[in-house]
This record gives sequence, structure tokens and C-alpha cells, in this order.
Amino acid sequence: MDWQALTLTLKLSAITTAILLCLAIPLAAWLALGRSRWRLLAQAVTGLPLVLPPTVLGFYLLILLGPRTGFGRAIASLLGHPLAFSFEGLVVGSAIYSLPFAVQPIVAGFAAVDSSLIDAARLLGASPLRLVRTILVPLASRSLLAAAVLSFLHTIGEFGVVLMLGGDIPGATRTLSLVLFNQVEGFDYAAANRTATLLFVLCLAALVVVYAGPNNLATGPTSSNSRSRNRGSGND
Amino acid sequence: MFEFLNRSKSISQIVVKRDPACRPIFMAMALALLAMVSTSISAHAQTAPLRIAAAADLQPVLPPILNQFRESTGIEVQATYQASAALTTQILNGAPFDLFLSADLSYPKRLLDAGKADTAGLSNSASPVSYARGTLVLWTRKDGHWPNPTLETLRDPSLQRIAIANPDRAPYGRAAIAALTNLKLLDTLKPKFVTAENISQTAQFAETGNADAGLISLTSAKTEHLASIGSYFVIPGNLYPPIEQGAVIVSNTPQRQNAHRFLEFLLSPPIQQQLAKSGLTPVN
Repeated sequence: MDWQALTLTLKLSAITTAILLCLAIPLAAWLALGRSRWRLLAQAVTGLPLVLPPTVLGFYLLILLGPRTGFGRAIASLLGHPLAFSFEGLVVGSAIYSLPFAVQPIVAGFAAVDSSLIDAARLLGASPLRLVRTILVPLASRSLLAAAVLSFLHTIGEFGVVLMLGGDIPGATRTLSLVLFNQVEGFDYAAANRTATLLFVLCLAALVVVYAGPNNLATGPTSSNSRSRNRGSGND
Repeated sequence: MFEFLNRSKSISQIVVKRDPACRPIFMAMALALLAMVSTSISAHAQTAPLRIAAAADLQPVLPPILNQFRESTGIEVQATYQASAALTTQILNGAPFDLFLSADLSYPKRLLDAGKADTAGLSNSASPVSYARGTLVLWTRKDGHWPNPTLETLRDPSLQRIAIANPDRAPYGRAAIAALTNLKLLDTLKPKFVTAENISQTAQFAETGNADAGLISLTSAKTEHLASIGSYFVIPGNLYPPIEQGAVIVSNTPQRQNAHRFLEFLLSPPIQQQLAKSGLTPVN
């Protein structure tokens, strides 16, 4: 078992998930509650990584982050090394590749929050930041968890982008999915089975935690009511 | 009290909210199913083309040859280009290919040994039919630091990254390792390697400027695109074992005769000369 690749994969997934949550929460709040005409286009754009074949996405990133673009050169001078074939490059690639998996559940969760709550908060003068922090995030906590788990698992299984952008460097860009691919291509099926089993167990455990976890992770005074289904009790 | 929406318990329901928009989705699913059934029926109705599993380094070479074969015989033919290793796995597992053109001899030999392929008497039955030989080159961009690569380029300490194909399975990757070993450069260059899945990806690493140089196939270096933006140096042939490219006919093919005809066509002198123009060495 390639433990180095396992720790690298978990590190990549954890960092990617953290970055994505930081990006996706404000973005999803704007998509779900904003009033801009650009929201529709923005939501469509965040879904694009679902469309491109991962290897093609990786190829475009290779061009974008390479020394032939101003952007690539700027990043390289900031970091002191080019982004491609480095762990940081994989983080950038993974964040783009898993973006829809973070944004879409959170948008759905935020959109499902009762609008009268949001209106009330706004009337009482809550800033958008406070609205997100005290109303949306607690009430959509299951969606946030779903987004985190999906982003994490999607990054663990990521292959095409890593293949195109990583260059298969042990300890820097050789992730578990690449190890598994190399084992299969090398006809080492016994080792491939071990790696695949590890991936399965890891991901199954994570999904079980999500499905079986407490039905409501929200905190605060609203949590006891959150599962009550008082449909149309009238006076709101 | 405030009214709360039902919060769904499963991820899938969070991602896809239930709403009237589901109806068109179900319609689309039904249509897709119908389309699948109808195409599978029509696929059986017409005769299938000759299907060739071809190594990635043949992608710049084979298409015009397929056209000529079509014109001269009237036989419909299609090729699938992938890494030889992946194609071998697919054929071992019953992929519907009729003919396999590999980038080396070891993969088709694996199929022969497994009884999944044969040579139809075109070579002795234990070894694949050799149809060409590959050449390894060092490729760099014309606008980079090394516009005219030589073996000295490999010794240059300012060379940061060099792209090679995965030596565990790509024939050109194995050749690259052998050549660098003979040049006593392997230990120096190993930390500078970036490994690609196949030969065309190796070229992409160097072509996009992310790697300073790439050890690639002459067939790739001679393509119009790479020839216009880069230059190459042919690695001397005595530095690595020859990259013999072998072919086998898949045993249970329903198109044995056509596959046989294509192999003979590929081995005919005019086609062999054409291979030479595109960077492969003829076998006869």
C-alpha cells in the first residue's frame, strides 16, 4: 500500500474542501438570495466543470498555469516555482474541478431556508454577512455537510486533472487514484484491488457518517423546531 | 412560530430538489432508453467496420493510411488510439477489436501468450508481426532557452523539468530511461522528470512550456503543429534497444479476412515508405 499517496490524497482533499467551503458559502448566498441579473450566468459557469472531460480541463489548466500566459508567470513568480507539476497546482485544479459539488448543494440548501426568516432578519437590519452567519449557515447545515463530503470524495477520486496537471511525482502529485490507475495499467491486479478496497472503505465510511449522522446539526433555539412539519399553521 | 421547510435527509435530494421540473427529466430518460434500444438494433443490422486498436504514437500516422485502405478495398475501417497497455487490458477482457497495432512487442506478445490473439501466419506464431520501428527524439520549443536541442541540452543544469512517458508501460518511456542510463544521466535527471501517461501527453507537457524539454516519438515531433513550434534532436539509435512495433489479430474476430488484408496492406512497400515520411522506420 502506498501510504505516501494516501496521505497526499487526504491532504489534497482536505485543503481543497476547506478552500471550496470558503468560496462556496458567499457565492451560494449571492446565487440564492442576490438580485443581480448575472446570477443565472454565474450559476451556469460554476456548473461547467461537470461538462468538460477532466483530462481536457486538466489540459486547459496546464496552458493557463503554464509559463506561456501572464497569469501562469505571475503565479510562478509569487510561489517561486511554476504551478504545474506541484501540489499547489493540484489544489488549484481540484478546487475548480470540484466547485459544482460544493456550490450546488449549498445553493439548494440556502434557497430552501424559509424566506420569511430572511425577510425578518433583513427588516431588523442584519447585514448580509450576519444573515449568512446566523440564519443561512445554521439552517442549511446539512447542505453544508453534504457539500463538504461531496467535494472531499470527488477530490479523492479525481483522476483526469491530476493526470494532466500533476506529472506523477511521488510525494507531490502522485495521488491514490493515480497509483490505482498505474497498478491496473501494469496488470498488478492484486495491488489494484487493495488500493480500490481502501478507497471504497474510506468513501463508504464517509457517506455512512453523512447519512447516519444526527438529523440536524443546527445549533441554537431553532434546532428543536427544524424537523417539525407544521404546514400552514397560518400566522406568519 | 415560523414554518420550516422539510429538510431532506439524503444528499441526492439536497442536490436535486423535487419540483415539477422532474417530469421533463423522466421524459428525457425514457427517450434516452428508447434511443439506446434503437441504436443497438440498428448496429446489429449493418455489417460492423474493421475495428483497429492502435497505439497512441500512431495517431499522427494512421489516418491517411486508413483512407487509402478504404479507397483501395472498399472495406470500412475505424481506429481507436490509446496507450498500448490500456488496449491490451481491453482486448484481454473481450473488447470488440479485430486488430491490435501496438507501440512495442511485449503487449501483443502478452495477448498471444494468453491465447487471445494470433498472427495468422504472417510471422512465426510466438511473436507479433513487426510492422515498423519507432524513433526517440528530444523535443524543445523554438522560443524557449534551448531552440536547437542536442545531447548537451540534457546535461545543462538550468534545465528544470523534462517530460517522459511512463517507463513502466510506455515503450518510448522505457527507451528514454535506457538512453539516459547509457548517457550516465539518469541519476542527475531523475528529480527533473515529469511523467506522462502516453506519448502525446508527454508532448503536451513540453509543448505548453510546462516542461523545458520532452523525450517523445519522432511521429509526434513530425506533426505539423509540433514541427511549427519546436525543434527536435534524434537520440542516437545505439543508446536504446529498438522500439519494435508489433501487430496481432484478435482471435475471436468475425473479420479475420479483412484484418489480415489490412496487415498485408500495412506491410506493403508503398505504405511502408509512407511510414518513413511520418517518422517510423520501415521493417523491410
